This record gives sequence, structure tokens and C-alpha cells, in this order.
Amino acid sequence: MPANRDVALVAREVLEGAYVLLTFRHPEVAREARAGQFVMIKAGTSADPPLRRPFSILAVDPERETFSLFLKAVGAGSRALADLPPGGAAQCVGPLGRPFEPPSDGSEALMVAGGYGIAPFLLFVRELRRAGRTGRVFYGGRTVADLQVREPFTALGVSLVPATEDGSLGHRGRVTAPLEEYLDGGPGPATLYACGPDAMMRAVARVAERRGLPAQVSLDPWMGCGVGTCLGCVVRIQRPDEPQAKYRCACTEGPVFDAATVVWPGEAASLARRRAVEVKG
Amino acid sequence: MSLAVEIAGVRLKNPLIAASGTFGYGVEYEGLLDLSLLGGIVSKGLYMEPRDGCPTPRIVETPSGLLNAIGLQGVGAPAFVRDVLPRLARYDTAVFVNVCGDTVEEYAEVARVLAGAPGVAGLEINISCPNVKKGGMAFGGDPRMTHEVVAAVRKATRLPVIPKLSPNVADVALFARVCEEAGADAVSCINTLLGLVVDVEARRPKLAFGTGGLSGPAIRPVAVRMAWQAARAVKIPVIGIGGVSSAQDALEFLIVGCRAVQIGTANFVEPGVYARVLAGLEDYLGRHGLDDVNAVVGTLRFPGEGAEAGSEG
Ligand SMILES: Cc1cc2nc3c(=O)[nH]c(=O)nc-3n(C[C@H](O)[C@H](O)[C@H](O)COP(=O)(O)OP(=O)(O)OC[C@H]3O[C@@H](n4cnc5c(N)ncnc54)[C@H](O)[C@@H]3O)c2cc1C
Ligand SMILES: Cc1cc2nc3c(=O)[nH]c(=O)nc-3n(C[C@H](O)[C@H](O)[C@H](O)COP(=O)(O)O)c2cc1C
Repeated sequence: MPANRDVALVAREVLEGAYVLLTFRHPEVAREARAGQFVMIKAGTSADPPLRRPFSILAVDPERETFSLFLKAVGAGSRALADLPPGGAAQCVGPLGRPFEPPSDGSEALMVAGGYGIAPFLLFVRELRRAGRTGRVFYGGRTVADLQVREPFTALGVSLVPATEDGSLGHRGRVTAPLEEYLDGGPGPATLYACGPDAMMRAVARVAERRGLPAQVSLDPWMGCGVGTCLGCVVRIQRPDEPQAKYRCACTEGPVFDAATVVWPGEAASLARRRAVEVKG
Repeated sequence: MSLAVEIAGVRLKNPLIAASGTFGYGVEYEGLLDLSLLGGIVSKGLYMEPRDGCPTPRIVETPSGLLNAIGLQGVGAPAFVRDVLPRLARYDTAVFVNVCGDTVEEYAEVARVLAGAPGVAGLEINISCPNVKKGGMAFGGDPRMTHEVVAAVRKATRLPVIPKLSPNVADVALFARVCEEAGADAVSCINTLLGLVVDVEARRPKLAFGTGGLSGPAIRPVAVRMAWQAARAVKIPVIGIGGVSSAQDALEFLIVGCRAVQIGTANFVEPGVYARVLAGLEDYLGRHGLDDVNAVVGTLRFPGEGAEAGSEG
């Protein structure tokens, strides 16, 4: 059950390129968070900016009752959090949202992360490992500074394939290139997971469509409340049995969605719907 | 110490009500906060049919406020009665429903659906939504249409009828009086202020709908002024709305004559806001040697009026 709490910053680690790792004490988040879930959090109580901001839960420590965020300062809300001094106060509600579902069959989980989109996958590889499953992470960004959460994965023995657009680490170019290369090598059955910029998620969804693989994407629209009441974060979702797409809250019905049910900008219908109509007609 | 108030024959255990569109259907907050803490809740606006609402972006932050164009996305009155009302029955709080319509007849039809349902304390008539092409503000901005909608709903139900006034008018007192004459039991005051935020790089509105409704602390002084004008104009109770996020803010509305107060945007910022505001109200009453919140209502000493005028000489 999510809980709303005033929290204090327990630890703070400043990384390169406006990234920071923040740890807060929040027993419910520490105990219950699942991979892909997020918190709505705001530094202090200032009226500007008015609202809290959504951040994926990177890691939890149930013993210390803490959770950590991997955050990039991009605007006023994230900067205020990144600048919190140790002991600094924040308001936080969580854990929120629908988590990633492990592959329904025995297939391998292929996780594709862009920039801060790596955050939900650290909990996910732990969940997979507990279930005796394996996974592989494809981690992309503009430059090496965007790929700072690597060590925790390799420490768990997870293979992590980096890709940077400037070639400063791993493959030069888009992260979907090493993903496709891996799939071309004919591994066993796979399920794709994506979290990152819209264009990347859409590209992963296309790979999944072409190859007939299941895929889950963690969408990140603007969010106002995180609990399904402001209706500001709605995304167009269309399940196979729905003739019309519906606006659904990414905060409560997502942020993780079956990629085939997403109606991407400029598209008339979701893949799941198009397939259902083809079968019938 | 008593925090109980009465609005249109409905007893509320305290004067705090969750505002329409900022609290979902109430059930979203189950588990996050104790709904029985609230004096009442007002549902998101409901038509007869489900509605999809506006395209995105729907909300943009402004200095100490929000501009929104949600466009009344909702499940429709029949689904609310079937799926939501039974779940709300568990809580000791008054449930008001925000009634919408494209036509006068639709308002009355929604009112009839709700009048037959158990667990509805009253109807708030939304004649002030700025984010729909038909109905909404178009009705609440025209005294004749306001009268027509309120009278039609009045005829359709014996539930308390509470029109929600638009701030996008020159003389809010006139509209409050029109509602009173048409048979309203109370008025809610105010809905959001029509606004526009421009993305200067793209030279387009930031909201997909174009314009939107402004809410939050940014509108409070305007809302308090309008609630004060409405309260002076009518005998029926006025429910104050606009930018409340603390006991101080709620007290401003009570002091200018409101019998109850709605909290909107603050729900998004702080789901636990009610407990904090209630504690603040009790603290205030204690400090002022009062044991009933009603003793604060309408106690504004306005310069040039009443006792204050004499004491200034
Ligand atoms: C479910 C979810 C999980 C998230 N997890 C993380 C995370 O783990 N780490 C992290 O650093 N960030 C994460 N984000 C994004 C983060 O919420 C935004 O960066 C933050 O809200 C920006 O707020 P701000 O006040 O700093 O910037 P603002 O002033 O609000 O925005 C600054 C700039 O960023 C753009 N922007 C704002 N929000 C988004 C968005 N959602 N997607 C793309 N561009 C945006 C704005 O258009 C603007 O150009 C997540 C978002 C969601 C919805
Ligand atoms: C996102 C959002 C949605 C709203 N939806 C409705 C609605 O469905 N019906 C209605 O009468 N008012 C609606 N309102 C207006 C609020 O109920 C309230 O009148 C207004 O926001 C001012 O109060 P506040 O400053 O406390 O938010 C909405 C406001 C917001 C911010």
C-alpha cells in the first residue's frame, strides 16, 4: 500500500553530468517497491514549482528502510531535489504504479535502457534472479556520462552492453543496434523491456513487432499527482478488444504497459488492435 | 471544540471538502488517507456518458498555480452509481456529485440518475468548466442560462442543489442571486480562472486545448474576494474554493462568510493536507477562545463598514 510521508535525505552522491544518487528513509517504499514503480517527491514545501515529480525507484534497503533514486537535474523540481543537503526534507508518496512483469514463459529478459531509464532495471534484475531467471541489459545514451549505473549490474553478474552516440563507451550509435545484433545471433525466446526517451521506446516496440516478441515499455509522460486523480498523465492505450483507444493514466494503469497496446503519436490504432482486426477480418 | 457545519441541510463533520476534479471519485485515495477525515468530497464532473477529455498536454505549472484543460474525462453517471458509490458508503463523509451537461436536459437527466442512488448528499452543478466547447462556462457566464440550468435540476431532484459559480464574469454577486432565485440550496465559489500559457519557442499554447483553467494559491485573493461578494449577496450558504492549502487559507474564506471550504490543487501537492488543515483550524479556535468553527463565519471587519467604521474615527 503506498504511503505519504515527510522524508529526510539520508545519503547523497553527486555523479558526473548533472546526475545524482539520493537515498531517503521511507519504510513502505523500502519494503514493498517492485521494479518499475516510482515515487512522487518534492524537496521542501515551497509553492514553486507547485507539484511533486515522478522518479523510478532504483534500489531499496528494507533493513535500513531506505530507497534510492538516480536522478538527472533537468529543471526546477529535479534541481531542488539534487541540491538537498543531507538531512534535508522532502515530501514523498509511494510506491506507485504498475511494475514490470517478468517474462510469462521461460524466455530471457532483454532490458533496454536510455539514460536515467536504467533506474527501474536494477530492481528488476534482482527480481529475475530471485525467480531463477536471467536477463541482459542494453544501456544507451549520448555519451559515457549518461551511463553511470553499470557497476551494480556487473556486480550481480548481469551482462550489460553499453552504446553511446558519440562512441565514448561501447557501440557507437543507437542502443537498438546491439539489441538487434544480439537477436540476429539467434538466442532462445526473449521478452523485451524498455525505459528511456520516447523515441527509444518506440524503436524497441518496432523491433518487438518485427520479430514477434512480447515487449513492455515504461512510459514517462508529464505527471501531476501520481495517484490517478489529476488526469494529466494520460496516454492512448488500445487493447485488442477495444474499437477505440482510451486515455489511461500512466501513473495508475502504467507506467509499464504492454508495448502492443500503446497508440504511438501519429498512429491510428495500437498493434494489438491491428492484429486482432486482421485475425477477425 | 466543534468543527461541524451545515450546508443545505447536510451536516458535515468539518468544513473541509475535496474539490471536484482534484480528488478523482474519492476511492483513488483509499489507503493513502482516511476518507472519513473529510467533511465531504465532490466527485469529478459527470455527464450521462463516459467522456474521453482533451488531448495532452493537459496541465502546465504556473507561478504558484496550475493551468489545466482536462476536459471532464469521466466514467459517466450510471457507472459512478454502480461502481463507485457502494465503495464510498464505507466512509463517514458526505458525497457530492459534480453534474455536467451539454444541454439543460442533460443536466436534469444526470441529476435524476443520481437522485435515485443511495449515498449522494447533494449535487454540485458545474456551470463553470472553462475546458469544454458546450455547456460549462457558456452556461455559467449567462444569467438566463444559469437560471434555466439550475431551475431544471431543481425540478429533477429533491437533493440539495449547489451551482458552482464561474469567476469569469464581471459581477459574481448577480450570478449568486440568480442561482438563489432559481431554487439553489447553496453555491460553490469559484471554479478556475480562464488562462493562457504560451510556449514562446513554438509560439503555441502550452496546453493542447489552447486555453485552460487557473487554480492553486495563485488565484486565492481573487477567489476570496468573489466568495465574499457572493456571501453578501445571498442568504443561502456559500462554499469557498480557490488556492486553499492551509488553515490560514481556509479561515480567510470562513471569515468572509463561507460556511465550508473546498480544497483542490493542494490534493495533488500533498495527499495528507486535510489532517494538517484540521489541526490548524483547531489551533486557531483555541487561540481565539472559540469552541465552534461557525463562530468565525462572516466575521470580517471590512474598512468603512459596521463596527469597524466607528472604531476608525
Ligand atoms: C514514471 C517516471 C519515472 C521517472 N524516473 C526518473 C528517474 O528515475 N530519474 C530521472 O532523472 N528522471 C525520471 N523521470 C523524469 C522526471 O520525472 C522529470 O525529469 C522531472 O519531472 C522534471 O522535473 P523538473 O522540475 O526538474 O523539470 P521541468 O522544468 O518540469 O522540465 C525540464 C525539462 O524536461 C522536460 N521534461 C519534463 N518531464 C519530462 C518527462 N517526463 N520526459 C521527458 N522530458 C521531460 C521538460 O519538457 C523540460 O524541457 C521519470 C518520469 C516518470 C513519469
Ligand atoms: C485538474 C483539475 C480538474 C478539475 N476538474 C473539475 C471538474 O471536473 N469539475 C469542477 O467543477 N471543477 C473542476 N476543477 C476546479 C476545482 O474544483 C476548483 O474549483 C479550482 O481548482 C480552484 O480550487 P483550487 O485552487 O483549490 O484548486 C478542476 C481543477 C483542476 C486543477
